[in-house]
Amino acid sequence: EQIRDTLRATFKSGVTRPLAWRKHQLYQLARMAQNEAEAFCEAIGKDLSKPRTEVLMAEVGAVIDRTIKSAQQVDEWAKTEYPEVPDWQKGWKPTLLKAPKGTVLIISPWNYPMILTFQPLIGAIAAGCCAVLKPSEAVPHFSQLIAELVPKYLDPSAYHVVNGAVAEATKLLELQWDHIFYTGNGKVARIISAAAAKHLTPLTLELGGKSPVIVDSAYDMELAAKRILWGKCNNSGQICIAPDYILVPWNKQEELVQGFEKAYKTFFPNGALDASHYGSIVNDMHFNRLSSLLDRTKGEKVTQAMQGRRDASRKRIEPTLVKGVADGDSLLEEELFGPVLPIVPIDNLDEAIAFINARPHPLVLYAFTEDPIAKQRIIDETQSGGIVFNDTFQQLAVDELPFAGVGESGHGYQVMKYTFETFTQLRSSIDMPKEAEPFLQMRYPPHGPEAVQALTGGVYQSIPPSSPTGK
Amino acid sequence: MSNLEFHTNDKISQAHKDLRQTFLKGTTLPLEFRRHQLLQVARLAQEKQEAILSALEADLGRHPVEAYLPEIGPIVASALGAVQCLDDWARPENPHISEQWRSNWNTTIHKAPKGVVVIISPWNYPWIITFGPLIGAIAAGCTVLIKPSEHSPACAKLMQDLVSEYLDPRAFRVVQGAVDETAHILSLKWDHIFFTGSTRVGRIVAEAAGKNLTPVTLELGGQCPVFVDGKNTNLSLAAKRILWGKQQNAGQVCVAPNHVFVEKEFEGKLVSAFGEAAKSFWPDGALDAKSNLARIVNKGHFKHLQSLLARTKGLIKGGKTEGLRMEPTFVHNLNVPTDDVLMTSEIFGPILPIISVNSVDEAIENIRSGPTPLVLYVFTEDQEVKNKFIQQTQSGQLIFQETFGQLAVPEIPFGGQGDSGYGAYLGKYSFDTFTHLRGSIDVPLIPEVDAAMALKYPPYNPGSEAFAKYNANLPIPDKSQS
Repeated sequence: EQIRDTLRATFKSGVTRPLAWRKHQLYQLARMAQNEAEAFCEAIGKDLSKPRTEVLMAEVGAVIDRTIKSAQQVDEWAKTEYPEVPDWQKGWKPTLLKAPKGTVLIISPWNYPMILTFQPLIGAIAAGCCAVLKPSEAVPHFSQLIAELVPKYLDPSAYHVVNGAVAEATKLLELQWDHIFYTGNGKVARIISAAAAKHLTPLTLELGGKSPVIVDSAYDMELAAKRILWGKCNNSGQICIAPDYILVPWNKQEELVQGFEKAYKTFFPNGALDASHYGSIVNDMHFNRLSSLLDRTKGEKVTQAMQGRRDASRKRIEPTLVKGVADGDSLLEEELFGPVLPIVPIDNLDEAIAFINARPHPLVLYAFTEDPIAKQRIIDETQSGGIVFNDTFQQLAVDELPFAGVGESGHGYQVMKYTFETFTQLRSSIDMPKEAEPFLQMRYPPHGPEAVQALTGGVYQSIPPSSPTGK
Repeated sequence: MSNLEFHTNDKISQAHKDLRQTFLKGTTLPLEFRRHQLLQVARLAQEKQEAILSALEADLGRHPVEAYLPEIGPIVASALGAVQCLDDWARPENPHISEQWRSNWNTTIHKAPKGVVVIISPWNYPWIITFGPLIGAIAAGCTVLIKPSEHSPACAKLMQDLVSEYLDPRAFRVVQGAVDETAHILSLKWDHIFFTGSTRVGRIVAEAAGKNLTPVTLELGGQCPVFVDGKNTNLSLAAKRILWGKQQNAGQVCVAPNHVFVEKEFEGKLVSAFGEAAKSFWPDGALDAKSNLARIVNKGHFKHLQSLLARTKGLIKGGKTEGLRMEPTFVHNLNVPTDDVLMTSEIFGPILPIISVNSVDEAIENIRSGPTPLVLYVFTEDQEVKNKFIQQTQSGQLIFQETFGQLAVPEIPFGGQGDSGYGAYLGKYSFDTFTHLRGSIDVPLIPEVDAAMALKYPPYNPGSEAFAKYNANLPIPDKSQS
């Protein structure tokens, strides 16, 4: 509580308001990521056995890139806006002030700890908020590292790292925050929602789910397989936007399987089990969970390269392909969050859409098709946080798109300007001049007949004709 | 009081199911459908204005000017405005991509309707607070359940009749009920819940929504403070504009000026100015049969307001009542910090405490120590004072030299912060409330694209590491520049 109150006092003092101050903090964050890149690679490597290249690209590099770009754009984002209004209201000076929400809480997960902690923080800093970071206890080296580095690089009176497990998290949630940004799973999201409700705290929930992949029979199966497998292998499938399961027409299943085998052999000429550029499962609990799901599947394991060897001692599972998976299978029960790729053969697009709609809204829907009619049908007839055609994972490189879920995959946006807006109160304002008084005079009682006429006249605006069929 | 027939939980669940079916069918997607429904909303308000007037009179004793100006007129205007803007609002956006290597990915933001939504509205401005958000939901392509307040039963019943007459019943329904029925509604799965009401119930709504991870808009209580800068504003004009806002619906509205801070040396003048303004509004007295003043909604609330006056430590100027009407009443001789009974919660009535402070800073300190208000009203022409309020306070809206008028400007959002809620609406903001921004890319099949991205695929070679490290080594501006 003391930490929160210190941050609140800092916020109240107004020190986070000047843009120059915010930009400096952002550049400091970039410097921290750049100067300490090795330390981050080491810590995350210890916690997750994540390959160095992946850490540099998806975590360190992404943080630096977005921090610098945000510092360059914060003037634009924070600018007070004056919306266009009809002439008679122009003198009222309608204004949109970009007010920082205040003191916020950012809770991040273990799988991409650096980008998922600092990306929301970038928006909070840019918006002029103070923030508490609560990283995951499942990545102890990373959490310890940022507890040391953040006070060195950023202003400790405005940004603070709190480490701990359930007890500390619970304590944090009992307090009032001006916004809570949570990335994780639906179960904990509900706990956080309940705590936030008590204080009427607005929330961003970045959750997960089973992100389906629709593969159209006309698409190049080899290319689809390559692009899907690449997305699946990142962090061994332990990411909210990993392609979770595939829907492909029956008559193309074998071809797709062959495409996967071919791609796998080029990615991992000696198999993934001992490959230094392939990650491990985060802990024993998840390793056992995935093993159990695989043991229970009624789908057909492939006999070639992607049969999925496992090593419990090192918590490693190779990318595993399972074909002929049907509704009700163990692999369709929950978000896999691992390197298992079930293929669910279907008859046609109708069936694929129905299959997806029978399940909770995914965070992202992937579709491999070049048919514009199929694309439009998928857009119109399904719901998902985002929709990606003809690749996987690449949407993360896009700064200009809002990233969010719907339904069970969450709500609230992030990335660049959208993160800034998440932590900003759009505070509207007008300034009524004295000179407007003669114009406003007739609104005051008592209302004579002319006043009544003038004030009630608005209802008689002419309404254009229309019909239900639009004709 | 008319007897409002409540819906059973089964009927409510069925309505929810029907609305979801309609949404899944895609009925509300075509813009022509939405446009027609919006025009029907406009027609509903225009053609049935007499009936709406009568219902407001029956429930709240509302004067025609106060039925048209804030409710009926804006419904027509909003609906027509939405029709005009619909194409622009619904059009997918293609943000500009400066990085060449991904500029051919057809980066798009689709405006996807959230789905099946519910609007729970209060008794005090039942029409605009229901139809305002409804217009946004229709424009966004959602299907909607409306739950009007049982405390304005004539309006609730009429709303049910008119909605079924004018709007497509497959997509838009009204259900009636009280606490139990509302609890049942909240237990169902919605894609958005739009609630206007008290802070207390707001917590209940947020908690219920949290169980289903449903996004919520909460338009809650105000307890809106006013600061009058005696040195730098015209006191009689300020009094007039404040009183005009306060007496709307006899103060029973979330944006009503709740209490006024003024520097000690101007208190007397301000109180007189309020007296003058009241005389000009009601030459025959506010309780005169012909006056525009609305009734207090019911006996319970009326008794509560009388009890506040009985227990306040301030000096009362006014307080006369007639039936369920109470004249605008000014209570002064109060100082900060004040634990007076009038300040314990939102008054929601025609009582205006006037609290004297030593300085604007003291007023700001007092405002900051209370719950974040929906609107903060400041009467000053001094830019420095304005800046103090901009920099040092928080509120949903910050309005200078006026009360209420901001609601006539749909280009600025209306919503709260902290205890006054979150989310906002009016104009495009209503559309945005019920829309999900669905980001999309479409990566071309052409070999050039894959060649450009070949380095991302394993096995990683030194080239891959250089490619991956690119962003990590971006130049960061010198410390001296930042």
